[in-house]
Amino acid sequence: MDALKTTVVLLVEDDAGDQKLVKKALANREMVNKLYVVASAEEALEYLQRSKCGDVKSPRPNLILLDLNMPGMGGKEFLRRIKADDDLCSIPAVVLTVSDAEIDIYETYKLKAAGYVQKRVSSKEFQKVVGELAKYWFETSLLVKS
Amino acid sequence: MGDLKSAVILLVEDDPADQKLIKKSMLNQKIDNELIIVETGEDALEYLAHNKSNEAGYHTPDLILLDLNMPGMGSREFLRRLKADDELDTIPVVILTTSDSEQDMLATYKLQAAGYIKKPLTLNGFRKVFSQLQEYWFVICKRVPREQLSCTAN
Repeated sequence: MDALKTTVVLLVEDDAGDQKLVKKALANREMVNKLYVVASAEEALEYLQRSKCGDVKSPRPNLILLDLNMPGMGGKEFLRRIKADDDLCSIPAVVLTVSDAEIDIYETYKLKAAGYVQKRVSSKEFQKVVGELAKYWFETSLLVKS
Repeated sequence: MGDLKSAVILLVEDDPADQKLIKKSMLNQKIDNELIIVETGEDALEYLAHNKSNEAGYHTPDLILLDLNMPGMGSREFLRRLKADDELDTIPVVILTTSDSEQDMLATYKLQAAGYIKKPLTLNGFRKVFSQLQEYWFVICKRVPREQLSCTAN
């Protein structure tokens, strides 16, 4: 199966521990070349604005991983805004969250999330899950080139 | 990990050979799947309409696999209508196609497809793809609660 030669993932996650876990899980996937991490939805929107303007330090992501519960704007509002943007709406956004509340699951799919993954308590499980997520998006699926 | 209750997949695919390959590739997978096959976008919408009215025998799909090149309505139009429907828009749709055109990819991701998979050439290839699809959509991802999908329109 064809896979992207260079891939960019934008991780929107405020928890330093979870940032580290995701970085570690993706470091082993050779197809993920660049992981950019921001700690809030506001920073993520700024990053995406810069990428729209062709900033080489803020390359357009092929995939967004998004925490739901963050101070400030929050994951759902961020999702709403990028899905309302004619340019950014084509980037798949997968939610990675501690919540298994049905209302959260429903609302994020309503906002056109491309997956809803519950964070695991054990770091080993968490890494495994992120690894499977990467397999689906970077080995099985094709993504629009940046 | 996620719940392993059986999953319902709606396959929108008009090619009989591909239908056969896909059916075979779903055997002996980790999770029991119920595979419903329709051949056009119109048939798919009709199936989903029956399900909206809670008719017996119609099951809300947990996932829709959509071929791109179909006669009649066309997949993009089907996807557009599905995502504009207040009751059906939460069902994830994954494209399964022979096309690796960037234009097709961009267009379907813009329409909120949740994956774009190039059809494998062999049964083993299909098996791997379906195993991966299952793992992602039914094991690691949470599914939209069925009660939310099956609300009747008043």
